[in-house]
Amino acid sequence: MSPTSSATSNPSTRRWRWFDYKKTIPTPVVITLGVSVWVLFFGLWELSSALGWVTELLVPGPQKVAVALYTLITERGFLGDIGVSVYRILVSFIAACAVAVPLGILMGSFKSVEAFFNPFVSAWRYLPAPSFIPILLMWFGTGDAPKLVLLFIGVVWFLTTIVMDHTKNVRTELIETALTLGGNRKQILLTVMIPAVLPDVMVAMRQMLAMSWTYLVIAEIVASTNGIGAMMMRAKRFLHTDEILAGIFVIGVLGLVFDFMFKLAHQKLFPYLEAHGR
Amino acid sequence: MNDPQHTVKLSVQGVAKTFQLPGGDQIVAVTDTTFDVMDNEFCILLGPSGCGKSTVLRMIAGLEETSGGTMKLGDHEIRGADRERGMVFQSYTSFDWLTVQQNVEYGMKLNRVPKAERRERANEFINLVKLSKFKDAYPKQLSGGMKQRVAIARTLANSPSLLLMDEPFGALDAETRWNMQELMVSIVESTETTVVMVTHDIEEALFLGDRIVFFSSHPGTVLENVLPAFKNGERILKKEDALTLPGYADMERHIMRLMREQGTDHTDEL
Repeated sequence: MSPTSSATSNPSTRRWRWFDYKKTIPTPVVITLGVSVWVLFFGLWELSSALGWVTELLVPGPQKVAVALYTLITERGFLGDIGVSVYRILVSFIAACAVAVPLGILMGSFKSVEAFFNPFVSAWRYLPAPSFIPILLMWFGTGDAPKLVLLFIGVVWFLTTIVMDHTKNVRTELIETALTLGGNRKQILLTVMIPAVLPDVMVAMRQMLAMSWTYLVIAEIVASTNGIGAMMMRAKRFLHTDEILAGIFVIGVLGLVFDFMFKLAHQKLFPYLEAHGR
Repeated sequence: MNDPQHTVKLSVQGVAKTFQLPGGDQIVAVTDTTFDVMDNEFCILLGPSGCGKSTVLRMIAGLEETSGGTMKLGDHEIRGADRERGMVFQSYTSFDWLTVQQNVEYGMKLNRVPKAERRERANEFINLVKLSKFKDAYPKQLSGGMKQRVAIARTLANSPSLLLMDEPFGALDAETRWNMQELMVSIVESTETTVVMVTHDIEEALFLGDRIVFFSSHPGTVLENVLPAFKNGERILKKEDALTLPGYADMERHIMRLMREQGTDHTDEL
């Protein structure tokens, strides 16, 4: 019996150790660790540019990037670029979801719908969306349209398939229960299939939104005069590495914000998943 | 013959089920199965695993097509699933996104029962299964036994003429299981429901069954209609009270022997 093990009878004074499999550690420690990884990252970055370990021109320090971001926003209308990018993401993503979610649920519910659409949907999944950029430019010119279409086709086929798979996983007993309670096909679709699959659909949407950002940057780098990606390509021409890094930073922050909003919506929409008990 | 105990509620006549295998072979799961269930009777379908008793129950529910024979509920033939025959499954079927109250109201909502009546009936059946304190809880917050009670209340509140149960207590621990069995006796006594329940638990069958239809295996068909005479036509309310009744042990031994005879041969097939 060591002194620490006799103290374990009281959980609040129980000592924790750095490396215990799957044991929780105190919240202040979790926060400190999470902050320190970033402090370490920025510290090393600042240090390496201050000490001249890396070329200042290629890797400007974090302070320079922060200043560049401030200048971009206050003097160069960068907020407009951000707005354009966010607009493209939202419009194309909502359109893709409006097609993929109902289609995927119907394909997962009814074998006949799956048999008709699935050969088409899975074929499109194997065509890399960016390979359509040249033809999209010829069809739609250089405005918003080709970007919106690219983002749409980059998301819609994958999302459809994932939603279909999740719908197929809705347990047969739930459907059969509704049948023996007198439910008809339409009622079961609306009151069993859709509510049962919705939490998984939200998770899939959250993951596909990250993919949407990838395609957006590709589209804006290849062919655009505005948007975050276009700003970064302009900066490259003038060797403004600090602005490029500022662009990457903004994309990261936006991604985090969207992800957080999805997480929040998930908690608000599906409180029953958080419920715990016996 | 006007005694409700002697009115046939469900009549299963020469029912068969043949499954078609992808290779072209056929498996005869159930053949020439005939039995009657009387009004307000608790009927148990018992037999070794693989005897087709669950298939018979699913055919009664209308979830599985028959390959032959007829089934009648009252005077109309069974065709497809509907609210007349409500089913409780072994796996938990509470809708996670609905509270206990909403789960119990669900069937009535499908059938467009007016809101006030729905509420009242749901409360009545939630009380019956002793879940009043958990009306507003979500299924995730409930134990396994409580989830099964939600399923039972939901099915009964929908006023089916037949309650079907497919090994409903098979996933529960022993103590919860006999609590649930005693609850079922009191429910059947107070609501005069007719129940057909599949089990492979002999004690459960003897305690609950007013009639035990014993199935043989390969292919499944009715081997024997057992009427537990030791009960003298009275339902037993507490499980331990059954054990000392004269005739209980003999009947248990008889059924165990049937089970052994019918169950042994499938070791040869492995």
